[in-house]
Amino acid sequence: MKKLFACLLAMMMVLSLVACSNGGNTDTENTGNDDETKTYTVGMVCIGNSEMAYDRNFYNAADNAKEILAQKGINIEWKYTYDHPEGDPVADDCIELAEDGAIAVFLNSYGMENAMLKVAGDYPDTVFAALTNEGSKSDELENTVNAFPSIYEGRYLAGVAAGMKLNEMIANNEITEEEAVLGYVGAYTYSEVVSGYTAFYLGARSVCPSATMLVEFIGSWGDPAMEATTAQDLIDRGAVIVSQHSDSTTPATTCQQNGKYHVGYNISMTDVAPDASIVSSTIDWTNYFVYVIETIVNGGTVAQDYIGYGLKTGDVKLTELNEAIAAEGTKEAIDAAADAISNGSLMVFDTSKFTVNGETPTESFIDMNADFTPDDTNAISDGYYHESFYKSAPSFDLRIDGITLINEAY
Amino acid sequence: MEKREPLFRITRRQDIKKSTAYTIYLLAFVIAILLGSLVFVICNVSPVTAYSAIINGAFGKSTGIRQTVKIMIPLLGTALALAPCFKMKYWNIGAEGQITMGAMGAAFFAINFYDKMPHVVLLLVMALSAMLMGALWSFIPAFFKAKWNTNETLFTLMLNYIAIGFVAYLQGGPWEGKEGSQIVPNFNSNAVLPKVFGVHMGWIIVLILVFVMFIYMKYTKHGYEISVMGDSENTARYAGMDVFKVIVRTAMVSGAISGLVGFMLASGQDQTIYSGIAANNGFTAISVAWLSKLNPFVMVLISLLLAALSKGSSSLKTAMGVPASISDIITGIILLCLLGSEFFVNFKIIRRQKEDK
Repeated sequence: MKKLFACLLAMMMVLSLVACSNGGNTDTENTGNDDETKTYTVGMVCIGNSEMAYDRNFYNAADNAKEILAQKGINIEWKYTYDHPEGDPVADDCIELAEDGAIAVFLNSYGMENAMLKVAGDYPDTVFAALTNEGSKSDELENTVNAFPSIYEGRYLAGVAAGMKLNEMIANNEITEEEAVLGYVGAYTYSEVVSGYTAFYLGARSVCPSATMLVEFIGSWGDPAMEATTAQDLIDRGAVIVSQHSDSTTPATTCQQNGKYHVGYNISMTDVAPDASIVSSTIDWTNYFVYVIETIVNGGTVAQDYIGYGLKTGDVKLTELNEAIAAEGTKEAIDAAADAISNGSLMVFDTSKFTVNGETPTESFIDMNADFTPDDTNAISDGYYHESFYKSAPSFDLRIDGITLINEAY
Repeated sequence: MEKREPLFRITRRQDIKKSTAYTIYLLAFVIAILLGSLVFVICNVSPVTAYSAIINGAFGKSTGIRQTVKIMIPLLGTALALAPCFKMKYWNIGAEGQITMGAMGAAFFAINFYDKMPHVVLLLVMALSAMLMGALWSFIPAFFKAKWNTNETLFTLMLNYIAIGFVAYLQGGPWEGKEGSQIVPNFNSNAVLPKVFGVHMGWIIVLILVFVMFIYMKYTKHGYEISVMGDSENTARYAGMDVFKVIVRTAMVSGAISGLVGFMLASGQDQTIYSGIAANNGFTAISVAWLSKLNPFVMVLISLLLAALSKGSSSLKTAMGVPASISDIITGIILLCLLGSEFFVNFKIIRRQKEDK
């Protein structure tokens, strides 16, 4: 017994030595901070962690925003909680960050809003931004807001790149016009996904009129194995280019293995699939972070919703084009379409460009107050569907001709 | 031929002094803390700051204490639910599913009848429905066990996944809010368990349950039957007990309490339902029940310890950017050491005596 105690005691002493030396280090680091300027704490709750493609995009934007704000004389420090997809842990994170004095808390996934709304009322001095959701803007709380940049514009451009590639393959007699089949790995039959794949398809068809598309849902926002299997299935069904609305890079690697092409989402996937992935569309959250934080620091009121921010404002982007495999003229075609979208001469969901059950749609009512039933706002007028116009969250939910849904279970 | 004695011999301790046992537990805890420090050091975090961040996070502020208590409620509740089963040596590891089914039973009324009943009546109906669903989910494996002696460990485990899958279906189907979102909207405030001192009143329910369970196990005929069954089923049969009835009844009592935990989670904590609502409480509670040797009062302490660790480590994550997995490792080390120390309480290691040669 005595020996055991002696051993323990020795171990404790060694450890406390290490502990002290470590503590010393962190202390000097802390005192190195300049105390004259105030540093604001800003929180972010992430569905995954910095290793995931989806979350990485947010971390990058957070770093950029920090730099931009510093130039404006506003010092911020980000605090992250991660790996919390939904439920009560999200609420605890919100409490934790608000108690830490965060002036704003960003929640980076749709499923977090419910949990946040339970506690946001207790912290009126903190702004809670439920990104990609839409319940906060219409609730009675002033400090809960929503944002969703117009990603469908980026999807359209990504579609143009895919369409150009299809054209090249047809011209080279690799495929016939009828074989110009796109594949799309979708998460759920949710309007955000529907809006995304439809915009992608319309972009492709704007340059390759014979293009058709297969969509297969996986019932998850991110499931690397399932995404790979589904991409393989789409290829087996004849897809020559696969795109995705899912969080991992496995559709890209599957295309690479099969000698097919790929268009990504969230981050550039050309590093993992250099011979397959042509380009990705992505939301750049930097502007929004800067806007929210700057507004709060300057004593303003953050808008309940973030409508009308897309390509033009730099909130939606394409990643660098993979010139080695992109068809000739892709860059020019993308630039032309981007200009047309930005100056308003091109509407992505122009109702003269697509049909639903063979007819041109004239009515599509959207839910404005998050009660899950359509209200009397008709999104179709002036010859196009007003996507992300009445509210920032995508609402396009029409099943247009030319796209075949392989499963609709999710 | 000379028979050689091994270097170490293990013998069962006949009786151990309370003080010795407590010393062993305390030592195990200290070792766990030291091993944990090692993990922090490897991760380049000072153990002193890390542990104080954990304690501060769990008990430092009133909001921290509230969250600790909130995490403790389902752990304690489920450990109480498991106690009679384990006492009977019926290995119910299906609490996770029973909680999930309970939450579903409660959610059914919260979603469909929130505007048709007054607040208190609605809550009572939700609680009853939850207990019924939990009991039902526990009845199935118990019936098979009692009738055909099937393996309850596998059976209850498998039923967990069915329950979770069932809620996943409802979440994406009939109860879904926005189409394709896979999310059930928050319950109407009429279906939400009120708060007492800032925490949903589930904590009062589980504290009452502690006393009820203590009395049930120690001073009732049911409790006596359970303990006899645990020692020997044949003895119970010989004494004229209805073994079938005792198994099914005990499992259903256990399921009903788990179901009640599901009600508290759905109505008090999450105010909605999703497939992960049981959040591993059904499994973690097994450790709580074991560590406390099925004593309800000790369960309060153990579940408080685990809840504090859980809350503290989530503060650690935000405050110091320590990966979430590190705090899981720390919790794991503490559990392992405490459970492992049981060995030294029950057995004695004897070294070969030098003089013998």
